[in-house]
Amino acid sequence: MRVFQFLRRKSDLAEEIESHLKMAIADRVARDESPAEARAAAMCEFGNVPLVVDTTRDQWGWLRLEVLAQDLRYALRLLRKSPGFTLTVVITLALGIGANTAIFTLVQGILLRSLPVNDPGRLYRIGDKDDCCYYDSFQNDNGDFDLFSYDLYLHFKEAAPDFEQLAAVEAGGSGFSMRYGSLPAKMLHSEYVSGNYFSTLGVGAYAGRPLIESDDNPDAAPALVLNYQTWQADFAGDPHIVGATVYLNTHPFTVAGIAPAGFFGDRVVPRPPEIWLPLASEPVLEGAGASVKQADTDWLYALGRLRPGVNTDTLQSKLSAALRQWLVTRAKYTEHGGSALIPRQHVVLAPAGGGVQKLQLQIGKSLRMLMILSSVVLLIACANIANLLLARGTTRRAEVAVRMALGAARKRLIRQILTESVLLSIMGGVAGLAVASGLSRMILSLAFPEARNMPVEASPSWPVLGFAFLVSLLTGVIFGTAPAWLSSHAQPAEALRGVNRTNGLGVDHSSLPQRVLVVLQVALSVVLLAGAFLMTRSLGNLEHQNFGFSTANRYILEFDPTGVGYTVDRLPALYRQIEDRFSALPGMAHVSMVRYIPLGGNNWGSSIIPQGHGAPGANDDSFSSWDRVSTHFLDSIGVPIVRGRDFAEQDTATSQQVVIVNQTFAKQFFPGQDPIGKHFGLGNPQYSGAFEIVGVFANFKMTDARGEVHPLFFRPLSQQFTGYKGGDLKAAEETSMFANFIILDFTTAPKDAETFARKTLAAIDPSLSVFDFEPYADEVALNFNQDRLIARLTSLFGILALILSSVGLYGVMSYFVARRTSEIGIRMALGASRSGVVVMVLRNALGQLVVGLAIGFPASLLASHLMASLLYQVGAYDPITLLAATSVLAACATIAGLIPARRAASIDPMKALRTE
Amino acid sequence: VQSGEVLQVETGSLYPALHRLERQGWVKAEWKQSESNQRAKFYKLTKLGKAQLTSDYERWGKMVATIEGIMTANRGGA
Repeated sequence: MRVFQFLRRKSDLAEEIESHLKMAIADRVARDESPAEARAAAMCEFGNVPLVVDTTRDQWGWLRLEVLAQDLRYALRLLRKSPGFTLTVVITLALGIGANTAIFTLVQGILLRSLPVNDPGRLYRIGDKDDCCYYDSFQNDNGDFDLFSYDLYLHFKEAAPDFEQLAAVEAGGSGFSMRYGSLPAKMLHSEYVSGNYFSTLGVGAYAGRPLIESDDNPDAAPALVLNYQTWQADFAGDPHIVGATVYLNTHPFTVAGIAPAGFFGDRVVPRPPEIWLPLASEPVLEGAGASVKQADTDWLYALGRLRPGVNTDTLQSKLSAALRQWLVTRAKYTEHGGSALIPRQHVVLAPAGGGVQKLQLQIGKSLRMLMILSSVVLLIACANIANLLLARGTTRRAEVAVRMALGAARKRLIRQILTESVLLSIMGGVAGLAVASGLSRMILSLAFPEARNMPVEASPSWPVLGFAFLVSLLTGVIFGTAPAWLSSHAQPAEALRGVNRTNGLGVDHSSLPQRVLVVLQVALSVVLLAGAFLMTRSLGNLEHQNFGFSTANRYILEFDPTGVGYTVDRLPALYRQIEDRFSALPGMAHVSMVRYIPLGGNNWGSSIIPQGHGAPGANDDSFSSWDRVSTHFLDSIGVPIVRGRDFAEQDTATSQQVVIVNQTFAKQFFPGQDPIGKHFGLGNPQYSGAFEIVGVFANFKMTDARGEVHPLFFRPLSQQFTGYKGGDLKAAEETSMFANFIILDFTTAPKDAETFARKTLAAIDPSLSVFDFEPYADEVALNFNQDRLIARLTSLFGILALILSSVGLYGVMSYFVARRTSEIGIRMALGASRSGVVVMVLRNALGQLVVGLAIGFPASLLASHLMASLLYQVGAYDPITLLAATSVLAACATIAGLIPARRAASIDPMKALRTE
Repeated sequence: VQSGEVLQVETGSLYPALHRLERQGWVKAEWKQSESNQRAKFYKLTKLGKAQLTSDYERWGKMVATIEGIMTANRGGA
């Protein structure tokens, strides 16, 4: 409607002015002036017609939109006229904006998102750390508690009615093989949750019912809720599964319902739970060792929905007080000097609208670093485009001069040029979205190769689109401002006089901004390159470090005898069969079984009590990892015994309980003594005579690929300690008898190792399925996913920066040569040698390079200092890295400068002078 | 437009001013036939415009008087 009104008024105004002029001319003609004179005089008297029309229309408040349309039309026409320029700019921007958008996609999907639940803003978690998975003592040196036992959770629930609902969720998570009907067993990720979990989150069920409070009753029939996506993918969306009985590790469970589509639980993880199980069903699956029955086993996170208007600070103090009040009642925390530590124990109440912040704590730092790096790439891209625009602006000086001479306002010129750059940047942004979605897909698959139904989308969402648009807009303004400003300050008269020509003498002042931009690019590129080198070296150090064991020609096979109903008494026969059958395979050097493989991401730990010692004090470091292995385990991973002996066939179920320990263990628990023949036990002084050390093996990395080697000991799969009193200890001891991995060490690995292995296992027991089969090296490499991703991305960004700044330098130098063609011609005509010309041009280029390096050097020192915590065995002040970054950049820049320099030297003086 | 020869204004600059006045509702415009039979736009002061003019004119008068006072006083003092 208003547009029509606007158009009507526009023609109205034209008519009004026309009638004014007609009348003025008529007046003059009446005074005997000739019509031509009268017309000229009237026009002169009236002034600049288009300007008057513009100013008048400005009064209506419509002009801005019209000007925008005009500017856009004009800009599009200009861009169409120089497709090469447009394409270069759009590609450069697409890379820059794409990289930023890709990183932002992850930041948004992981760091900024809220859970898809009802009113996530009122969800709070008691605890702000990512401790996992089972603790039974104080958790952090500063007294911060974030893992709780079921008993402590119930205590919180009672102490804090400020929570509308308080749910408990398993900190870790496990997997169970689930059998439904005649379908083959499936290994599903599970999470134990309290019955009020779904109502706390405000989530119902897609079909059937969610878990409810009554599922917490110890005598409730075991029920589970199935993940919607799993239901679709693994059970083909079969509606009959709701209410049906399924078997988890042979135990019957009822499928109570299907969680809503899109619900992925209480945290963002690469592989969300596929089944949610009530806490009360844990004893069904775990037997007497169930954690839910141990008042001192901390394994749950507490997640609650606050009542409206609750003060979180007050609540936090209240909960901390409740924690301390509970701790003093527990012998576990008060004995052996623990009481002294209780006053500093506390909890932190953290917003949990985004779920339990676990992944966020783990990768937030890397993501933030990547965001900084990608914005640096974008800055370099901006500098490049600003340079291109400046060069173009100079060639457009004549046009701008004419427009200014004709009365164009400076503001209007700036606006026009800015419109052009923003248009370019938005085109770049659109192209960047394609780059972004490809890049974020790549990042996700690199970072989380084990991901399944990960709730982070690589394809752009609304917030991501908005971000890309904003970045494009900002980019356009950043790279457009300098050229717009400079060209609008052209002096029309001067520009018209010597259009497109420089005074060949003296320094060319107009190229100063361009040089500054190149210097900036060089400086930023040094920083990025240095970062890339540091991260790559750090990754190399991580991957090629000496883990202390070999993975070459080794394969691991994951299986689960528990899941198919094996009991402890049937295990020796199974293990013997596995050893015999697999050893018989061609090219097999060693076969072993183990509960947790080294660097496989899981382990067990206990507190060590050497014989004759009392219980360790609260501050004593008595912790050691341990694992169950078969006789030939050390051989199968190439670890030597340095003292005593390895396990042997003589270590049977009835002989003396034996262990072998690593060097760190021996040093820590038996300093200055011969550990062979010494005894120790776990947890309680009454068991301290249980195990006899028969050997010490060389240190290797079991749990932590980055840190030092921690104490570690192995027990043979053949010996179960029967001396434990108390159901939970007995149950845990029994669980530890189950191996989960077979390690196959080939002399030369056959091509079809997997087929062989699967056939062999099936021949032993067809019900045993292979959950995973892969080269051991690949499994170990999973430890460095994040490092690898960061190293690759920083390298990618570094290479991008290198290319962009080389292109930038090349562009500026080519432009410099083109503009000074006649000057160079004269110099050569007067006797300058070709090499002299090359040196002249190159000196110019290298000048910018040196200044850029001089700025970039301290900047990269600062950057590497900030990166120090992400590096492994690389000093932040690493001279080799800096030298490498500088030389790579210097080499590329020299080449970029050399090409235009040679072009300058090949100028034919006669031709150059003739064009004058 | 008669401003003597002291102020030389391009006649075209009248239009932005007129359109601003119209937007503020101080003048009304309509197309009519002029004496020379030329269709032309006629602007007329509205009631609001008249009131504005009166108040502005008074303010102007006061300002001139004030400045006049200052100028005369200064000249006297010198």
